[in-house]
Amino acid sequence: VVAARGVSVDAGLLIGFGVVAAVAAILGSMLGLGGGVFLVPILTLFFGVDQKVAIGASAVAVVTNSVVGSSVHVRSGFTNLRLAVLLQVTTAAGATAGALFGVGADPAIVSAVFGAVLLYAAISMLLRGDKRPTAGGVATPAGDPAPTRAPPAVPADRWRLDDSFLDPATGGTVRYAPRRLPLGLGVSVGAGVISGMLGVGGGVVMVPAMNLAMAVPVKAAVGTSAFMVGITSVATAFVFYSQGEIDPTVVVPAVVGVLLGGQFGSRLTRRLRAQRLAALFSAILFYLGLSLLLQAFGVTLPGQR
Amino acid sequence: MSPGVAQGGQTVGGAPGDGQNDLAPLARGVTAALTWGFRIGAALLAVGVALAVLRREPLNREAEPFVEVLPAVLEGSAAGVVDLAILWLMTTPVLAVVALLVGFLRLGDRRYAVLSLLVLLVLGISIGLALRR
Repeated sequence: VVAARGVSVDAGLLIGFGVVAAVAAILGSMLGLGGGVFLVPILTLFFGVDQKVAIGASAVAVVTNSVVGSSVHVRSGFTNLRLAVLLQVTTAAGATAGALFGVGADPAIVSAVFGAVLLYAAISMLLRGDKRPTAGGVATPAGDPAPTRAPPAVPADRWRLDDSFLDPATGGTVRYAPRRLPLGLGVSVGAGVISGMLGVGGGVVMVPAMNLAMAVPVKAAVGTSAFMVGITSVATAFVFYSQGEIDPTVVVPAVVGVLLGGQFGSRLTRRLRAQRLAALFSAILFYLGLSLLLQAFGVTLPGQR
Repeated sequence: MSPGVAQGGQTVGGAPGDGQNDLAPLARGVTAALTWGFRIGAALLAVGVALAVLRREPLNREAEPFVEVLPAVLEGSAAGVVDLAILWLMTTPVLAVVALLVGFLRLGDRRYAVLSLLVLLVLGISIGLALRR
């Protein structure tokens, strides 16, 4: 029997943490939100784990998941390395600031912010429905080296951010050049702050921002974001480590659970139409978000700690 | 929409097909850093957990400070090995950024080498805080 702050932990509870992390990763993977969005609220609300310990554990799990996932994306050519480095400067700065604020903040404030983010995610998911982000980019059929139409030049070009990747779904090459770089850099700061403060990856903000605002194709946005969230969460994890908030009795099952759940979730996503479950998932997010908001004001719902 | 053009596609700049093909060696370096970083971290974690289970040794409630981790590992402490695994996994993306920095320098791309260095400096703030613990 070992003990974690705020809760007695036995072997059964360690396995329970692992199962929760796996379920969180499956849900997060199916929704493209990452496991931390579910992991932190479930650990705090239902297991009574200290909020900062849960955020620290989530950050380490996000780093590990990103290391595994992004190596595949980089190898596949989906990751735009120049764009990742450029946006990472402001994202990492935001994450450091967010983590420094979050690790010392009143837990009620962190709960309130987390609750608001979850409610936003729930509502936007419900409103989005079956609409998917635009693919973006110009595709060239397999074996055809030339684009099918002349595209306009973009201001971001002087940063040499234009890139291409082979889309396995079509067999063609997709070429694109990111736009609205200042907007992307600004959004990155916000994503970093949220990531640092809440221990979530930040992909929930970065993928739509890159796709919708910067015209980066979805696969490239996901590949670039997957690489970035690991680096972003390094800042978060080390700030929480510096304050003694990294608890191995929570981190180890979280890392193992998120890795296994993430793999299973990716396979499940290919079989199921996750968008059809959007209403159910957004209801779960809404419930967790509302619970955290109520917790911030001292109200605990039945079954919660 | 003409055949072969992805939905919403309208954004290509530069010479067709050049993209970032010059970064292929750099991408291989990053992939190697991430892959081996994870393998080493996962192996350390497996060893630490196995030791803890076999010896019925509890894990730490709080990861030890840097300076105390290596002595704990050398003493054969399971908790020390688990702490080292966690710290190693936390550091792996930093290795990937170092690989980016070296790769951009080799390519002579000073702008992105400087940006990679900036990322490392920002991460250095949180790592510096951790070292002072």
